[in-house]
Amino acid sequence: MVKLIGAVLILFSASMVGWQIGRFYAYRPVQLRALLVGLQMLETEIVYGLTPLQPALLKVGNRLPTEIGQLFQTAAGSLREERAQNADEALRLAIDRHWQQTSLRKQERDVLTSLGQVLGSSDREDQQKHLRLAVTHLRGLEEEARAEQNRYEKMYKSLGFLCGLLVVILMF
Amino acid sequence: MNEIMAILPATIRSILTALPSAVREHLEEIRLRQNQPLEIRFGQQSSYVTAAGQLTANARQGWTFTEEQSVKLLNLVSQHSLYTLEEELKRGYITVTGGHRIGIAGKVVLERGEVKGIRDVTSFNIRIAREKKGTAQKVLPYLFENGRILNALIISPPQCGKTTLLRDIARSISYGNEWSSSRKVGIVDERSELAGCLNGVPQRDVGPRTDVLDACPKAAGMMMLIRSMSPDVLIVDEVGRPEDGEAVWEAVHAGVSVICSAHGAEIEEVARRPALGKLIQSGVFSRYFVLSRSKGVGTIQGVYDRSLEPVDKGEVAWLS
Repeated sequence: MVKLIGAVLILFSASMVGWQIGRFYAYRPVQLRALLVGLQMLETEIVYGLTPLQPALLKVGNRLPTEIGQLFQTAAGSLREERAQNADEALRLAIDRHWQQTSLRKQERDVLTSLGQVLGSSDREDQQKHLRLAVTHLRGLEEEARAEQNRYEKMYKSLGFLCGLLVVILMF
Repeated sequence: MNEIMAILPATIRSILTALPSAVREHLEEIRLRQNQPLEIRFGQQSSYVTAAGQLTANARQGWTFTEEQSVKLLNLVSQHSLYTLEEELKRGYITVTGGHRIGIAGKVVLERGEVKGIRDVTSFNIRIAREKKGTAQKVLPYLFENGRILNALIISPPQCGKTTLLRDIARSISYGNEWSSSRKVGIVDERSELAGCLNGVPQRDVGPRTDVLDACPKAAGMMMLIRSMSPDVLIVDEVGRPEDGEAVWEAVHAGVSVICSAHGAEIEEVARRPALGKLIQSGVFSRYFVLSRSKGVGTIQGVYDRSLEPVDKGEVAWLS
């Protein structure tokens, strides 16, 4: 009886581990999409609305899902409270603080940090160019992420379950 | 002053706070040039400032404004959003909260032969705006006749308080004063000096019944205001181009009083300028105020009527 309960527990936890890893693959494209939308909103605010960076970041941040939105919100906050000297620093601070909570990878991080270096520090045309460039980059990454999701999400989920099953079989 | 402090990098802020209070209160300009010592102008003097906030005549002892500081300053002035300042960078100055103005110079970027903006801003001239309320008191008695506002021209060399006087006249008419009840005032502020607008909101007190058309060419602006805001009086700074003269002519004949200013030392001189000469000859203006700085900024040298005869309502006034 105890053995049976143990087997069920092992099977359950192994599936959960697989499911977690699989979920990482499922979340990445969703968050990438949110980030992409965020940058596009930022472009509108900057190029057409001529909103100063701090309120623009805040506005965009409020309209995005939490994980991605808080990146923008934190950046806006550190600009307002003068914790950051410039947009670059503000974005870096926000990334350092919230990156762990996202399912995003180093590639996305690089796109964002290189955008931060020019954000707000040139004229409209130039801002638009850089924002579009970042969006194009993220699009590429999004496609890649979707392909990975298709390939690995199911695989990790079933792998978790199967590993659990293997252990259980070996136990009996 | 506090508004200015808020946009300065911490280092400069602390230097300026350390200045003797007598100097700080009379600060007119803060001049910052990359790799050069910090310079301030106060009263009629100018001086370098050391890192400890002491005045010095020796340029070498002055605190040096570095490239890093200039980038920081520009970041703070633009609120980290240089793209919002495209128009300002084209004009060469930025108006900030409080109506203070920051003149900038650096490397100019051209597009098809026209100035597109300034890149690598290296020189800043922070001009601290000081409102002098009540300067119009001395001219108001001459401005009204049977409750009507007379068309007037203020003639003055640069830096004699022409704009300050014009602004105070606008405010006095807008609030109402002992010679007339409050009227609707329209200001065409081509150089953003009269009202010192930030995002269209006047930063100076120009009165509750005043509409300001900011950064608009005078000639076009005057007609726009007449059509859209039905002002009782139009206030315009520095009329000089032929089209300005025509717009004044139009406005006066549309039943709107016009009070404007022009550069010059005396009426005869101004009358020789083509645009204004015609207006003066045809008697458009009923009052002329000539300013000078013979007894300090804002001395009223003389008040003349339509036929250029001195008007005498007591002694010649002195504004400040």
